[in-house]
Formats: sequence, C-alpha cells, structure tokens
Amino acid sequence: MENAWLIPLFPLLSFLVLLIAGRRLREASAYAGILLTLASLAMSVYMLAERFTKPTFKSESVWLTIGDLKLTAGFEVNQLNALMLVIVSLVSFLVHIYSRGYMHGDERFPVFYAYLGLFTFAMLGLVLSPNLLQTYIFWELVGLGSFLLIGFYFYKESAKHAAQKAFIMTRIGDVGLLIGMILLFWQTGSFEYDEIFASVKEGAVSETMITLTAILIFIGAVGKSGQFPLHTWLPDAMEGPTPVSALIHAATMVAAGVYLVAATFPLFAASETALMTVSVIGAFTAIFAASIGIVQKDIKRVLAYSTVSQLGYMMLALGSAGYVAGVFHLMTHAFFKALLFLAAGSVIHAVHTQDIEKMGGLWKKLRFTAPLFLIGTLAISGVPLFSGFFSKDEILVAAWVHGNKALFWLAVTAAFFTAFYMFRLFFMVFAGEARTHMKNVHESPGSMIFPMAVLGVLAIASGYINTPWFGTFLGDWLVEGNSALGHGHVEGPAWIMIVATLVSLSGILLAYLIYVKRSISRDWLISRAPLTYNVLRNKYYIDEFYGMTFVYGAKAVSLFLRFIETFLVEGLVKTVTVFVQTLGKTGSKIQSGQVQTYGAIAFVGLAVLMVIFALTGGYL
Amino acid sequence: MDLDKLLSFQWGMMTPEFLILGTATILAVLDLFMPKKMNRNILGFFGLAGIVAAIVSLTLLLGQDTASILHDTFRLDSFAKAFKLLLLGGAALVMLLAIDYKPKEGMEEYRGEFFYLFMTALLGAMMMSSSGDLITLFVGLELLSISSYILAGIRKKNTRSNESAMKYVINGGISTAITLFGMSYVYGITGTTNLREMAGLLSQIDNPQHVYILGLAFLMIFVGLSFKLASAPFHMWAPDVYEGAPTPVTAFLSVVSKTAGFVIMMRVILSVFAAVPSNDSDLPLLFSMQDYIGFLAGATMIIGNVIALRQRSIKRLFAYSSIAHAGYILVAFSAMSVVMFDSIWFYLLAYLFMNLGAFAIIQLMTMKEGTEDISHFAGLYRRSPLLAGAMAIFILSLAGIPGTAGFIGKLDIFLGALMVDPAHYVLVSIMIATTVVSYFYYFGILTQMFFRPAAHHEKIALQPGTVITVIICAAATVVFGIMPQLAFDFFNSNFNQFIDFLQ
Repeated sequence: MENAWLIPLFPLLSFLVLLIAGRRLREASAYAGILLTLASLAMSVYMLAERFTKPTFKSESVWLTIGDLKLTAGFEVNQLNALMLVIVSLVSFLVHIYSRGYMHGDERFPVFYAYLGLFTFAMLGLVLSPNLLQTYIFWELVGLGSFLLIGFYFYKESAKHAAQKAFIMTRIGDVGLLIGMILLFWQTGSFEYDEIFASVKEGAVSETMITLTAILIFIGAVGKSGQFPLHTWLPDAMEGPTPVSALIHAATMVAAGVYLVAATFPLFAASETALMTVSVIGAFTAIFAASIGIVQKDIKRVLAYSTVSQLGYMMLALGSAGYVAGVFHLMTHAFFKALLFLAAGSVIHAVHTQDIEKMGGLWKKLRFTAPLFLIGTLAISGVPLFSGFFSKDEILVAAWVHGNKALFWLAVTAAFFTAFYMFRLFFMVFAGEARTHMKNVHESPGSMIFPMAVLGVLAIASGYINTPWFGTFLGDWLVEGNSALGHGHVEGPAWIMIVATLVSLSGILLAYLIYVKRSISRDWLISRAPLTYNVLRNKYYIDEFYGMTFVYGAKAVSLFLRFIETFLVEGLVKTVTVFVQTLGKTGSKIQSGQVQTYGAIAFVGLAVLMVIFALTGGYL
Repeated sequence: MDLDKLLSFQWGMMTPEFLILGTATILAVLDLFMPKKMNRNILGFFGLAGIVAAIVSLTLLLGQDTASILHDTFRLDSFAKAFKLLLLGGAALVMLLAIDYKPKEGMEEYRGEFFYLFMTALLGAMMMSSSGDLITLFVGLELLSISSYILAGIRKKNTRSNESAMKYVINGGISTAITLFGMSYVYGITGTTNLREMAGLLSQIDNPQHVYILGLAFLMIFVGLSFKLASAPFHMWAPDVYEGAPTPVTAFLSVVSKTAGFVIMMRVILSVFAAVPSNDSDLPLLFSMQDYIGFLAGATMIIGNVIALRQRSIKRLFAYSSIAHAGYILVAFSAMSVVMFDSIWFYLLAYLFMNLGAFAIIQLMTMKEGTEDISHFAGLYRRSPLLAGAMAIFILSLAGIPGTAGFIGKLDIFLGALMVDPAHYVLVSIMIATTVVSYFYYFGILTQMFFRPAAHHEKIALQPGTVITVIICAAATVVFGIMPQLAFDFFNSNFNQFIDFLQ
C-alpha cells in the first residue's frame, strides 16, 4: 500500500500528456486516457485486496511549517477510501471507454479527455487525503474539473450558465467547509482526521463546537452533493456531455459530499444535533427531489433529480448513524446510476433528443441499451434481488432503528416516488409506439455497450456483498477496528423489507397503469391539482426564489455602496469641493471634482479615526 | 568628515544600492548621448542586467551579520535583505514588461527616461527597506514617489496618462503631508530622528499626554502611508491612476510600490510604536491600535472586492483587486501574531508572481487596443490555450484557490489571525466573505477566456520578455502553491525570524 500515491498520478499524467500532445493525437487521445485510468483501476483493486488482509496504511511528511506549526501532507489507505478508490477509478475507466463512442467526431475530443484526466486525478487525490486541509485542496480542484466539464459545450448559452452556477453554488458550500475546517483547527490544533477524532473523543472540544463544526462541514457536503437548499445546480449541470453526468454527477463528485460526511463520521457521531440535521436534510431532499422528478420531461433531468434524491437517502442513512448503510448505498448507487446515465446517453445518441415526450417504442430498436436501462431502473426502484434493494433496505432499517419514525415514513414515500418516476421514464422511452417520427435510430457502438454491460452486472451483483441473507461482509469489514462508526449490521424488523418491496412494486404498478395500460389518465394530476403540478413542474420555484433574493440582494448591496460612493461621500465633501473649485477655477480641466474627493475622503477617514481615538483613547 | 572616516565605512553592504544607482546614472548619460534614431531597447536590457547584478550581490550579502553605517541611517538587517529581494525580483520582471511595452501612439523619444526612472524608483524603495532613520526613510519614500509620478505620465501625448499622473501627484502630496505631520509629533516628543534611539526614549515615556499624542501620530502616519498601500481610506486614487498609467507602470505600482509601502509601514510602526507603553494596559501602544488597523483592513477588503464587481475595464478591476489584497495583508499586520513577518513576506512573494504574471498578459492583450475592456479576453482559450492556461493560474491564485501560492498566502494569514489570543475571527470572517465576493469578478474573466467566442481570430503576437515573465510567474505560482516549504525554508534559514529587527 506504500505505492497508493501513484494511483492519482496516472490520470494527472493523462491530463498533462493530452494537454501537450492532444492536438496531434486527435481521437487516439482516448487510448492514452483509457490506458492510464486502467493503470489506476488495476492499482486500486490491488490496494483494496491488500487492505483486506493488512491494517490501515498511512504515510505523511511535513509540507509546510508556519511558526511552530507543522502542516503535513500524505496519503492513507483505510477501508473507506480503498473502497472509494475502486469505485472512482472503475467508473472513470468505464466512462473513458464509453466516451470514445459518444464523443466521436467532436472537434475538441482531446480536450474532453484531458479534462476527464484532471477530474479523475482530483477525485482520487481527494479520496486518499489523510487530513482536512488536503481534502479541501482536492475538493476545490474537483470543483474546478467539474466546472470545465459542465461548460464543455461552451457555445451553448445554457451550458455556460450551468457551469457558472455549479461553481458558485458549490463554492457557497465550500466556504462552510473552509470555516468548519479552520474552526476545528483552532480548537484542536490539527487538520489530521485522527487527531481531530482523538480530541473529540477526549472531550477537548466543547459540545457546541462539535455541533457547529460538524454542521459547517455538512454545509460543504450539501453544496457538493446537491442537497436542499443548494441542489439547484445539479439538474442544470446536465448541460454537460452525458458521460460527464455519469462520472461526476452520479458516481463521484456528488458522492464526495457523502464521502466527506462518512470520512468525518466520528465527529458527527459525537453530536446528536449534527446527526439530526444531516438526517432531516437528507430525508427532506430525498422526498423533495423525488417529487420534482415525477413531472420532468427531460430524460437527463429526471435522472438528475433522482440523483439528488438518492444522495438525500445516503445523508439520511449517515444522519441515522447508519454509516454502513450510507456507504453501501453510495457504492450501489454509483454503479446503477452511472449505468442509467450511460444508457440515457446511448438513447440520446440514438434519437438525438432528450425530451421523453418525443420518444417511445425504443425497446425493439435498442436491443442492448433497453434491457440494461431496465436493470438500472429495477435497481434504483429497489426491486428485490437487485443491488438497490439491499442498500435501500439497510437505510430504512437504520432510519427505523435510530428512532425517528417520521423520517422513516418520508423515506418510504420517497421510495414509492422513485419507483414511480423511474418506471414512468422507462415506459415513456421504451414502451408503446414512437410518439414522433424518428429516423436512423440505431444501437450504439460496442465501445458504449461494453461499459454499460459491466455496470449492469455490478448493478445486480454489488448488492450481494452486504445482505441480511448471505452475510454482511461489507459492513463488518468497513467498521472493523473503529468503534466510533457503529455496528456493521443493524438488525431491524423483518416487515421493513416487505414494506419496501410492496412500495416499490406499487410505484411500478401505478406507472404501468398510467403510461402503458392508460387506465388512469396521464393528465390526472394536471386536471385534479393544477397548482401542485405547476409547483412541481417549476421545481418548487427555488431558482426563482434565489433569483429574487440573492441576485437582487447582491445587486442591492452593490448599488447601495455605489450610492454611498457617489452621493453620500461626494455630497459630504461637496462643500469642500465647491470651495476648492471656486478658488481654483483656473485649474486645468483634467482636475475634475474627483481628485479633491479622493483627498477629502482620506481626510475624512483620518478625522473619523482620530475622533474615535479621542473618545476612546482616554483624553476626553 | 575626513577621507579616512569616509573610507572606514563598510560600503560593501550598500553594493546593491550602488549597482542600481550606477546603472541609473549610466542609463541617463547613455540616453543623452545616444543618437535619437537608435533603438532604446538596449537601455532596458542594460537596466535589467543592473537589477540582476544587484540581486546577485544581495544574495552574496545574505550571510553577512547585521550592521549599520552612516550613523545608523543605513541598516542591513535580515528585514532589509528579505524585502529587498522581493523589490528587486519584482522590478526585474517589470523591466522585462517595460522593454516589450510599445503603446499605439509610440513613445520612442522618452523610452530612455522610462527605463531609468524605474531604476530610481527602485532605488528609493530599497533605501526605505534599509533605513534606520526617519530622514533617509523619507528621502527614499520621496525618491520612489517622484519617480512614479513621472512614470505614470510618461505617455505625454495620452490625455489619460497625463490625468493619471496629475491625480497621483496631488494625492501623493496630501499623503506625504499627513505622514510628515505624524512624524513631526514623534520627533517633537523624542527629539531624534533615529528609529532605534526613538524606540529607546519612547519606552521610558511616562506622561500620559505624550502617549495620547503618539496615538494621534500613529493614526496620521498610518493613514498617510496607506496611500502607498492603496488601502482605505487612501485608496481612491488607485483605479484612476492604474487605468491611465502605462501597463508596466501599473504593474510596478501594484506590486513593487505596494511592497515598499508595507516595508516602510513595518519599519516605522513596529520599531517606533511597539516601544511606547500604553495608557490603559501593560501592552505597548501598538496593541491598543490593533482595532484601528483591523477596521481599516476590513474596510479595504470590502471596498476593494465589492466595487471590483462592477468594473468593465480590466485595469480598473485589477486596481480594486490590488486594494483588496492590501486589505488581506493588513489582516496579517493587525493580528501581530508570531508569524506576522512570515505571512506578510510570503503573501507579498505570492502576490508578486501572480499579479505581475496577470499584468504581463493584460499588457499583451490590451496594448494594441485603445481600451482595456474585459471583452478583449473573450475566446483567449481559442486563440492561445497556453496563455489562457497561464492566466487561469494567476486568476485562481489571486482568488486563493488551493494548489496555488495565493491559497497558501491566505491560509497563512488565516492561521496567523486565529493563532493569537484573542483570535481575530471577525477579520477572518470578513476576509473569507470578501474572498467569496472576489470569486465573482475573477471567474468573470475565466468565463470570458474559456467560454466566450473570440471577436477576431488572429494570432497573438508573442513578445520574448513578456513570455519569459509569464513563464517565471506561472511556474513560481504553482511551485509555491504545491511546495510552499521551499519559500518558508529559505525565509527561516536566511532571515532568522527578523530577530535583529530592533537590535
């Protein structure tokens, strides 16, 4: 495990090589990217295998000395990041292969691969970080990679806006993380995870401080993972190329928020309030985003809201002290959501539209994509025997056992919504007859089918490493040697599994009745509750709300300051100015009133300081 | 003073200054006798060689013990060495830009002046960092200022350049008056102009009235000197002057002159006011003035970053950004932690590279255009990916994104401000909040470069000096961002925490 630091360097190398030689390599760039990420993947798998038998490995050296303070940099291979390394490098590798077909013919093909390399490097670096500061550094770098990839089609106005929005929105969260990190440093004198957890355990940090810093770190996670109320960037980010959505906005970057909470879990576990916040925000996001997903008409946006909702599930799990459940769902979700996005990309590739109203009857035409999409849909809906079923069950059990019954029922409702909108999507795209005339519908090339097939297998199989039936292998391994993380498996009542199954099946049934059998009118919601429909359709008007408050707020502050600059201050010194002007009318025209203003402001500033000093300095 | 006495001084410690003075003199003479038609670029290279020679001689002096000559008016202590390195490094890069600077209307007639005025300004700044006396300090300050006034107006046929110089002179005059007024109080109380003697006398002061007067003097000196830093309340000249001045001069003002401002600020304020006992506590007067510095630092950060949001001209935008950066450095100054010198020095180092690099690209992009509108950067990525990449590094560093020297600089200031007791968390919060505000305008430039189509697609004519500057700056910004320990090790091994600052 001494060589784990090499893992992120392969994609970095890919980035640098393509940056320099990309123009000459053209589409051969793909091979450079694919080979180098394969190297990362191979090493990650090896690390994971090694971690099964050996203890956690950590290597650090001093990076920066400030006064007596020593900041370190290094890497760590523990259970959580060994698992994450494999997830990230695997999905990245598959996306590299897939993009060869999907991006074929794009004139900036090498640039795309270069950006993918940069992003993968940052994400792997983030996962290996042994301390908060290093995590933060890679955290920002990940955001930068995502910014470049979302804005890849920069000639589209919407893509440009989406990139900017994603950057600013996640940055708001990042500031929370930064403040939390600095506060923790102030309290514990260290950025190291181990040392922070040790101080927390010893009680060196006050209860309120733990809660405050945990919540600030969670704000960072909220931004990155698209949780309410900072979720609005994620659906817009779908303007990026679809493989990017699969890599960044399904499997890796958005999961970084969940990963961060998981990595700092002992801190959260020390504060009931912090856990409560995490679980409430998570559960609310889960149901909130799922309800929006029901009425979206763009195939990628449905998936985007479903991602937001599933990330909410993971947060709910972590907030309910279900460390294992959260991480488990993080893993299964990475596989089935990446599969869904790649399959959606394949559909878009075939029909050249993202509007599901215009699709239909694709089952027969896309003979590989369709069944693979179905596997993903079954997995996310929590149908028994698919991976999502097991991980979702773990979450529901954790929520129930932790005691907050309201959140449990919210999660169950969200599961119903999920099954419904996912099958609505599936039926509208693949079932029935084509609703518009589509020509040249063709199955995607092998380079796109292969990654989907791999993910399809994983979307089923990955659930079986942690089941109540065949043993909770993953859970036991994850928490081994660290009591702060809770138990590997939480026993829950058996009826939860039955309820979960029933709920997901009834969601599917409802979708079937509406969109295939048509025994319930599709317009049912619009006609019965037009208001609800519009609210959902407009995503609860969150964007509009932000537009009203933040944008106008910022404008108002800036206007106000300008107002002070131009009117108040200038008005104040107008008398001086007028005096000087009458005196020096002969002065050249260049000396408009402004120069005097500048001097006057300096004088006024000095005078104010002196008056304050006179009043407080003890003379008067 | 007889000849023997004159020869007994250790003139060797002034070698860098003599080199700069000599170069400036030779440049002036050469310029006078060179045929009018001859290209003056050679003078620029000669000046550059002088600066490089001064850097070399300064590095040879690094190991030398602290000493002073000329009745303790000229000191070569580690503080002087550390900051002279920054001043010389910055000036060398500015010189490279100046050689490549060829404005539309032409300025062949005064290119010679252009070069040697940079040298005299640099000399003034270097004298300031070595002064042990208010008189030499002030002479150095004026040498820097007067040279800069002329430099700002060197484009004699350009009205905006003239306007800029005029505004600069007037504001500079006001600031000098205020500074001198403040200094006169200190002189009045101590009866000496030597900084070390002053400190000695002031530490025994027991008249509360005198302490009060010194408090007023502190405020006057601080506000007067804030002109050089372009910080509140003396910041308003910066946008106008930066916009009108030739780009290399703007770069000089925003980096070298600002560094010199911090040098004189620390010299005067730390050596004089750290000695004065306070009326109401055991700590020196300086500590009871922390709140005022903090207040001005906060105001500077807010003003700089908020008004920058509305700028369309890239040079005005950078003027406000440089105001904001002065505010960040003042946070470190007002915190007065044990790492104050490290953080200010490192921040100025990082700022030197990221800002000069950005100005090199600004000069390249706007020299041929009549205006400095941000839209000139549109589609830069299409026209020249490497330039766009370098500019992105500078912008990210200015915004304080991890992986760059700017981030380490900010982190250092954060930690320093939280290290002291009581922690300056209000200032730190303002700094974080205004940094977030700065993302908006910095990323506006990034968006222009990467996500907007170019107005025209002609190749950008690269110039060697500018390219070298960009490469050096980009490399340094990244290297000090990833391996900041290089700089800190150098600092600690050579300058010994400025332990000899007051000896």
